[in-house]
Amino acid sequence: MQEADIAIIGGGPGGYVCAIRAAQLGLRTIVIEKDRMGGECLNYGCIPSKALITAVKLYDKIRNAQKLGIKVTGVEVDMQIMQAWKKNVVETFVSGVEQLCKGYGAKIIKGEAELVAKDRIRVTNKDQVEEISTEKLVIATGSIPLELPFMRFDHRSIIDSRDSLELTEVPKRFLVVGGGAIGLEIASLYQKLGSQVTIVELTEQLLPGTDPEVVRIVQRNLERKGVKIYLKSKVVYAEKTPYSVKVTVQTPEGNVEVETDKILLSIGRRPNTDKLNLGQLGILTDQKGYILVNKQMSTSVEGVYAIGDVTGPPMLAHKASKQGIVAAEAAAGLPASADWKVIPDATFSEPEVANVGMTEATAQVKGFAAAKARFPFAALGRSLTAGETEGFVKLVYDQNTKLLLGAQIVGSSASDLISEVSLAIEMGASVEDLAMTIHPHPTLPEGIMEAAEIASGKPIHQLRIGQR
Amino acid sequence: MSYQVKLPDIGEGIAEGEIVKWLVKEGDSVKQDQPIVEVMTDKVNVQIPSPKNGIIRRILAQEGQMVKVGQAILEIDAEGQEQAEMQPPSQVTKEEISKKEEKQTVQENVIATPSVRRLARELSVDITKVKGSGPLGRITEQDVKAYAQQRTESATQMTETVTKEKEEEVEIYQLRGVRRNISEHLVKARNATVAVTHVDEADVTELVSLREALKGPAEKKGVKLTYLPIIMKALIPVLKEFPFVNASLDDEREAIVLKKYYNIGIATDTEQGLIVPVIKNVDKKDVFQIASELNNLAEKARNGALTLDEVKGSTFSITNPGTFGGLFATPMINWPDVAILGIYKISKRPVVKDGEIQIRDTTYLSLTFDHRVIDGAYAARFMSRLIEILQDPKRIMSEVL
Repeated sequence: MQEADIAIIGGGPGGYVCAIRAAQLGLRTIVIEKDRMGGECLNYGCIPSKALITAVKLYDKIRNAQKLGIKVTGVEVDMQIMQAWKKNVVETFVSGVEQLCKGYGAKIIKGEAELVAKDRIRVTNKDQVEEISTEKLVIATGSIPLELPFMRFDHRSIIDSRDSLELTEVPKRFLVVGGGAIGLEIASLYQKLGSQVTIVELTEQLLPGTDPEVVRIVQRNLERKGVKIYLKSKVVYAEKTPYSVKVTVQTPEGNVEVETDKILLSIGRRPNTDKLNLGQLGILTDQKGYILVNKQMSTSVEGVYAIGDVTGPPMLAHKASKQGIVAAEAAAGLPASADWKVIPDATFSEPEVANVGMTEATAQVKGFAAAKARFPFAALGRSLTAGETEGFVKLVYDQNTKLLLGAQIVGSSASDLISEVSLAIEMGASVEDLAMTIHPHPTLPEGIMEAAEIASGKPIHQLRIGQR
Repeated sequence: MSYQVKLPDIGEGIAEGEIVKWLVKEGDSVKQDQPIVEVMTDKVNVQIPSPKNGIIRRILAQEGQMVKVGQAILEIDAEGQEQAEMQPPSQVTKEEISKKEEKQTVQENVIATPSVRRLARELSVDITKVKGSGPLGRITEQDVKAYAQQRTESATQMTETVTKEKEEEVEIYQLRGVRRNISEHLVKARNATVAVTHVDEADVTELVSLREALKGPAEKKGVKLTYLPIIMKALIPVLKEFPFVNASLDDEREAIVLKKYYNIGIATDTEQGLIVPVIKNVDKKDVFQIASELNNLAEKARNGALTLDEVKGSTFSITNPGTFGGLFATPMINWPDVAILGIYKISKRPVVKDGEIQIRDTTYLSLTFDHRVIDGAYAARFMSRLIEILQDPKRIMSEVL
């Protein structure tokens, strides 16, 4: 029997961060991981996908370098080497996480965890069974992808996001079911590698919940490159043949037959809590099975915390990490609270999309004197010199107080740009604060400053005030 | 789905109450109808039940805080049917939930940096109460520290003015619950009345023998008979004869309200402090009924089980400090009554009666009255009449039975 002050089930971006902070605070910390430290994000999600996306983006740039005066011949993709490189990136990162945990004194135990009681965990690793007694417990078991009743993952022709990052051959035809963040990233990836890509999305737009003006840029880009997009559509039938899968897509214009080599199912995820006996322990969940938590990440059972995807959407690694810190500090008796104002998100589609805070529509609903200011990258020196002029920065603010409420950015490096706005919102900045801050020239963040200048009514690089 | 629990309408005319004790804490799960908080209104404790099943997300009112009816005191993450009904279709959930999250945070409209917000938590400062000195009311680190400092100073100041002692040499009791209620009520009584006390002496030898005679019949009815119910009954004809004593002064209408019903408040000592339960319609009840009600109410008062109705609506009151000793006192009027009768210890004293000194049972009686309504002469005549009845065995018998 091992004893701990705090035991964390799941070593993903929520769990391992929680473990490190708990150990830093002097708690005897055990983190239990059934697979590999770093969880979905490091091993099968964020990190490997970004490695591949970066490699493929470089391939795309090289092929299109002629107009910049670079003559290129014989460019080829070797998927084996690319996969090996990706694997190396992941390995480096995972071993780094393990070293960090150990370095701070958090103990890693490998195996599948089962909750016997709120203070007792049974860990099974192959034939070995071990029990851990703990004072505080953190559930950080993440989420698993949803399937369709008539389309189950066979991990060969019907694949999940993990499988999609392990392919060593580029499929000729690639069908993506679900046009959310994961679906779009993988669709862009295989489009650039030469697949004939089709996207089927249930709602009326890609990236549901995102500002439609932003989505329009992404959709236009995909369609220009030959990606077929069916909106307000769903796959109603799938039949495997020896060499392909034939599906029937129900669209507003009638049924369409699509034959494809691979189908990526990215229709959403559900909490991974099946083995935790939540009901028996009195840990309350909502209708969809997400664990209910308060601002200290405490569940309905004292001493039991939950963080990350198991607490519900948005399912984001960076949210899980911050929740992990709050849970560790709360468990250690510190006055921690999940009191952030905003959680930014980033999608590595082509071009990238990043959001933080409110859209103009939500700001209106909440009763702000909502206004927006938009600055196109096409008017920005750095974008022109990089040859990436697609997209814009849009700031949402309150017309009366000039207080910054949110931002939507679509374009190259949107994922890197959003953090300046996140910081500004957390600091309670007004659009004037952004406008009056000197940004180096020529750089992409100038787009944020320019949009802020428009919002302040004093634009330099625009002839007419771009507010609508 | 987050649900706000508001302070419900507890009873007639109650606009606010004091949070006495939380029976749950943040993160607890509650069942519908499970008591969640004790609220005190006008000397009565009420337990408020949870309207829903769910988890306590946030407690919005601290113990000792006064809250108004309709004010939110608690947030519950409710479970069950309603939640299911209110769940948006699956595809918009992400947006809906992120909207919900923003509502809880940005909508609080506090402009403060993350580190300032943490400082506030560390100093146990409710940041929504801090007035920001920056642009748009931005709260700075200094604002939070100043707020915390001021809070300590005002607390220290209070203890200093009350005790003028070093902190280690005193024990601090926060003015809470019954004590605070008494304090507020008495300040109101003092400010709202012009109180004068009239004292007289009564020969109650006949009253003592009457009580002895009634003890047996009372016991048969299962009640313990004290002097109080007998005096209460004897009071009724006097109150009827002197209607301005059974009255109140309505400042707003600039009118004296004479009451045709006789509800007598009885000052009762309990562990938590003074409570005044009211015996309703004393004129319509016999002495045994009153005795039994008195026992009952005193018991409830000591257990903190009185309902609001049982402490409201007095038209006149009696205080009986005699059991604790002393000659006589100058009691406070139980506002909005205009007078209170004080009855004191009955002792054997030498009295000149029929030209000779006799040993008689005597007591002092006091009437403290609002001079704006009652003049001294009127009060004296009231008291003489009461004593006349208490000294006349036949009169008492006819009034009491």
